[in-house]
Amino acid sequence: MNEHLKRLKKEYKDVPIPVELDKIVASTLKPEKRKPRFVWSATAAAAAILFTATVNLSPAAAESMSKIPIVKEIVEVITFNEIKEENNHSSIDVKTPAISGLENKTLEDNLNQSYIDQSQKLYEEFTNSEGHLAIESDYKVMIETPELLSIQLSTFKAQASGYTENQYITIDKENEALVTLQSLFNNNQYLTAISENIKAQMTQQMEADDSKIYWIAEDDMDPFTKITADQSFYISKDRKLVISFNEYEVAPGYMGAVEFEIPTDVIESLLVGDRYVK
Amino acid sequence: MKKNDVHARFVTIVNDHKEDFYRLAYSYVKNQEDALDIVQDSIKKALMSIDTIQNPHAIKSWFYKIVVRTALDFLRKHKRLTVADDGVIEFLSNGKEDDYENFDLQQALEDLPVQYKTVITLRYFEDLKMEEIAEIVDENISTVKTRIYRGLKLLRITLTEENKAHE
Repeated sequence: MNEHLKRLKKEYKDVPIPVELDKIVASTLKPEKRKPRFVWSATAAAAAILFTATVNLSPAAAESMSKIPIVKEIVEVITFNEIKEENNHSSIDVKTPAISGLENKTLEDNLNQSYIDQSQKLYEEFTNSEGHLAIESDYKVMIETPELLSIQLSTFKAQASGYTENQYITIDKENEALVTLQSLFNNNQYLTAISENIKAQMTQQMEADDSKIYWIAEDDMDPFTKITADQSFYISKDRKLVISFNEYEVAPGYMGAVEFEIPTDVIESLLVGDRYVK
Repeated sequence: MKKNDVHARFVTIVNDHKEDFYRLAYSYVKNQEDALDIVQDSIKKALMSIDTIQNPHAIKSWFYKIVVRTALDFLRKHKRLTVADDGVIEFLSNGKEDDYENFDLQQALEDLPVQYKTVITLRYFEDLKMEEIAEIVDENISTVKTRIYRGLKLLRITLTEENKAHE
């Protein structure tokens, strides 16, 4: 090889390998065998699916039940507890939300227990960590009306690189039921209608700003094609449907968790009614 | 090949070549922390789409491709990416021949438009085959050869006939 190239190659190969590399590679390759570092554990997810299935009402029932006037307690979100600790170069700051005032105690307890379990898991992760782990978790009320309550639970974990996961629940306060994405629509056509709108928004954003990247091109490794039936969503303050994706789901890590507001005229004909989304 | 075998093979390849992947990432971002992030992001991304692998024997090129793309995504995000068209390349190539000190040569490599730097890095520093590079950068072999040739010309590195024969 040419002398110049040899020198360049030597410089290239002389780049020191940081000691953290082994550990980062090992922990990223086997997330499922270690403590769940980047995803919610399977048990928490299973519990969430379980209570969604048991307490979800049919949209028709929700419409008719809402016409019966009942005097109720105020349904609200409170901070159940806050864990804040620091040691061994690791830190945790986790706020656990709790919903109070629902008469449907099964729903309330299920939701609250799921929040407590998740916080507990984060705390265990923190106490078992070998250092250099930061965990933050907090909640935010996305919409609160007499009928509706959408809550975001956002969890951020940093170890070498950060990862944010947003989780949403939406409750029909009057009907005391959890609102699922599916329950908003008459049939499954919403999957395509929403997905196509999101892809159009992604393309538009990428054209307007070349620092934005979404994986939608066919030659992308794992392009986004369609939302799932239980895709994460919430209802915004002005009663629009917002679809949310976690990091790496549809875009490179630096884009973070991304969300798309779906214009109501795109899905209007598919909606069960205008009780939730307007 | 079964799904588990693909996964096991991927893990082995990443473990065996993690230092190569790290150096490649570093060659783009020139920063330890960012390079580690890119390696980590690439592995996550790979694990998420490992089911889409069609040729289990090309896992290594496939992962190189993810690393390159993740690094380029990063540079694009931080506006540190220079992509030049052929006109600019011709213009740059017309400069007079300089004797580079090592530092200058290193700098010249850094300044090279990214599509040239990538193929030169993969060819001469990672010692990959032309077919593998073509696979990684999604171009045909003759385009890769042209880019290598132009890139070297920009660096004012002339290969002897003997070197060329070994390409």
